[in-house]
Order: sequence, then C-alpha cells, then structure tokens
Amino acid sequence: MALVEIKNLHKSFGSNHVLRGIDFTVEQGEVVCIIGPSGSGKSTLLRCANLLEVPQEGQVFVRGEDITDRDCHLDAARQQIGMVFQQFNLFPHLSVLANCTIAQTTVLKRSKAEAEKVARANLDRVGLNDKVTAYPMQLSGGQQQRVAIARALSMDPALMLFDEPTSALDPELVGDVLTVMRKLALDGMTMLVVTHEMAFAREVADRVVFMDGGVIVEQGPPSEVIGNPKEERTRTFLRRVLDPTHVEPN
Amino acid sequence: MTVSDTVVEKRRGLSPRQRAQRSRGIQYAVLIIIVVVAAFTANWGQIASVFFKPEFVKSAFTTGLPGAFLKTLEYTAGAFVIGLLGGTLLALMRLSRVAPYRWLATAYIEFFRGLPAIVVFVAFSLLPLAFADLVIPLDPYGTVWLALGIVAAAYMAEVIRAGIQAVPKGQIEAARSLGMPAGVATRKIVLPQAFRIVLPPLANDLILLVKDSSLVFIIGTSAAAYELTGFGRDLANTESNLTPLVTAGFCYLIITLPLGLLVRWLEAKAARAH
Repeated sequence: MALVEIKNLHKSFGSNHVLRGIDFTVEQGEVVCIIGPSGSGKSTLLRCANLLEVPQEGQVFVRGEDITDRDCHLDAARQQIGMVFQQFNLFPHLSVLANCTIAQTTVLKRSKAEAEKVARANLDRVGLNDKVTAYPMQLSGGQQQRVAIARALSMDPALMLFDEPTSALDPELVGDVLTVMRKLALDGMTMLVVTHEMAFAREVADRVVFMDGGVIVEQGPPSEVIGNPKEERTRTFLRRVLDPTHVEPN
Repeated sequence: MTVSDTVVEKRRGLSPRQRAQRSRGIQYAVLIIIVVVAAFTANWGQIASVFFKPEFVKSAFTTGLPGAFLKTLEYTAGAFVIGLLGGTLLALMRLSRVAPYRWLATAYIEFFRGLPAIVVFVAFSLLPLAFADLVIPLDPYGTVWLALGIVAAAYMAEVIRAGIQAVPKGQIEAARSLGMPAGVATRKIVLPQAFRIVLPPLANDLILLVKDSSLVFIIGTSAAAYELTGFGRDLANTESNLTPLVTAGFCYLIITLPLGLLVRWLEAKAARAH
C-alpha cells in the first residue's frame, strides 16, 4: 500500500482552476521532488496532501485512510505528516526548544521530559543543539528553517512535506538546509519536496514530477525527467531554469 | 485668477523662511498677550483658596483619600479582568464559524460601544428598584465590576479581534500541520501572539477604564464605597471648596500618567520587534 495516494484531485480558487485532475502516489521511503513553473499548482498539490487546502474533488489517502472523508480524524492523520514551509512559520513567542515540544505535549501527550529529549535529539540532527534556548527572531533564516524541520521531525512523522524550503533564504544559507534534507533522505525518510533546486532534485530524488497548468506532465527518475525529458513543456522549463540567460528563439 | 493666486503673488517678496519666522513671531505674541491679560485680570488669591487650599488637601488625606484611591484601583482592576475575559470571548465569537455567535457578538459590541457609559451606570442604579430580589454578590464590588466590565468588554473585544486577525495565517497552518486541533492552536499559538500585538491598545483601554471608574458614584454606593471622584465630590460639597476634588483629580494622574508611559514604552518595544 502506498503511503500517500492521490486520486483525481481538483482544486479551484474562485474561477482559477489550479489542480485539474492529479493522480499520484508516494511509496514508503521514497523521495519525490515536484518541479514546475510558478502557478503550476505544485504548492497547492503539496498543501492538499495534508488538507491545508481542501480539494473540491478527488481523494487523498494516507496509509489507506481517506483524509478527505469528513469522518476522518484529520488531526490524527496530520500528526503523521510533517510540513516545512517556505516562510518557516516558527512560533515567535516560543523558544527553539518549546517550538519543538509544544505539539508533542499537547497533541501526543508526551511528558515534558520526554518531549524535550526528542526535541533535543532532532535539534542535534539539524545541527542546532546549541540554540535550544534561543528565540526564532535571533536566528538566521537558514537556522530557522532547520528548527522548522526539527519541529516537524519531533512528531515522528511517516512523511515530510517541504514547500519550497529554500526559496526564502539568502543564497549562502541554502546549502545548510539542503544538507539537512539530504541527510534525512539518506536516513530513509519519505519526502515530498516542492523545489526549484534542480541539483538537489537530481541528486536526492528517487522520482521527479514535472507539473504545469495544474496537471502532471511527466514523471520518472531524475536522470530521465531532468536529464532527458520527453515532453516539450519540460524541456522549455528546464532550459529556462538551468540557463536563465538563455533566450528562446521565436 | 483665484483668490489664493493673488495672495501668493502679494507675498512673493517674502522667502519661505521669512514667512515661517513671521508666523512664529505672531504665535509668540498672541501667547504673551494671553498670559499678561490672565495675570492681571484673574483674582489669583481667590483661585488659590478655592482650588488649592493646603488645609483642605490635608483634610482630604486624613478623611479617607487613600481609601478612595485604593477603591479606584480595585474597581478598575476587577473591571479590567471582566473586560478582558468578556472581550476575548466576544472576539472569538465574532470570528466564529457559527453565524449566530457572530451576530450576537456584533450586536453586543455595537450596542455597548454606541451607548454612553453613564446610561449603563444609571441602569445599574435602577436595577434594585426593578428587581427587588436581585442580589449581585460582593457588594459593592460585584455591581461596579459588572457595570464597568460590560462596557469595557465591548471596547476590548474589537481590539482583541484585530490582534487575532493580525497573527499571520502561516502560524495557524503550522500549528494545524503539527496535528493541533483548532482549539489548541488558538489557545497555544494564536492568542499568546495576539495579546502581544494588542498590549499597547489594551493598556490604553485600561487608562480609559481608570477614568470611567469615576462614574461609579452614579450607581449610588455608600460613602464607604466611594472612589476618588465620589470622595472628592462629597468632601468638596461639605467644605464648599473645590480643593478636595482637585486633589482627587491629581490622584487620577498618579495612576494614568505612568500607564501612559507604559503604553509608549510598549509601542516602542513593538516597533523594534518588527
């Protein structure tokens, strides 16, 4: 059984039909990168995977359970799905440690001591065990994003969603975050990553999905989708991304 | 050619700096004239003896001013707590997904914000007449806290609602994506941040509340329950001199001026944080 299975997903914002029928699965242990031009619906697809956006049509199954079903325990399903946002969204009124423990104690009902142990282990994993008492405002963007990753990992998720995790970072800070993500992938974490980092996708992804116009245009191993794309739309996109100075011949 | 054009043309001889100097000179001249006229026409001896007579200041302190001062603080503090709790509840109701809650909260807020506070106090003074069996506990505190708190809640609800809405949407998304139910996300993530945002305007509401507590004498409390205004008014009546009232007035400033400084400090702190 696939960890995540998405069937015939449609999502509109007003008259803007953003997702036009997406069928898509993520297997246990798989790292999937979603690429595509802005406005192609890739972030919306990711946000539908934990129902931050409610689709108008279609179903999302997590471990076989339909989370679009109104009788489903959505909060329980979300505990298994960690999410990392473009803008980090750390809780500014809580310390780094408290950011990583608050959901553990309120949702998983772990004891404070246990939650702190888990949080420290995960902050160690992202290389920030010296920042436990700091507040988010005192950290650089790259450090904040790594705390956000530790916060999500502290819930012991089965799947991690990354929504353009490096897009809001200064270029010199991108590397630290990608290193953490690479390590996570090597540890066997199931990951669904919306990204513009082609080098990362090529190196880390088991599968790359190219989206455009609200549909999946092409998917497969990175060597094919990025290395040798079949579709003209994919080729056009990759030419622009990999060589921004390239001018399209008319 | 319009009127302003001719004016501009006439003044063409003066540079902007000269014009500013002349304007400032006129303002100083007017001020000096007012001061001189006031100094010569007013009966300073009489003013001092009516408003600032030392012996009445002294008698105010010995006949119960400190107690009245304490009462003002107690009335304000209790009303602030009721206003804060009620205001938070109303703010959450206004943002509720259940439409009737929104209607109820909106009706309450608009009603009590639109009403002069004094009307509410008059109503409370008449309640014992209308309902003979009615007993509001903690007399006189219960009645005062309720009357002040009912109005304060309406004002604070709007401030708190704005604070809740100022918390970025990403905060709720992050909390929900960690599996927090909506109620937990509101209590642990949204409200703590919202209250930080609204601290300066809430402190401002507290200042208004200190002053509104002066309306308490309308409820018709006993002399033992007098706060500053009730006390000052009563003593000024018996002594036929305004000094006790002026003294009570200065006591308000002892409370409100530090609060004003607190508001400014909180605002500066909030500005630095952004």
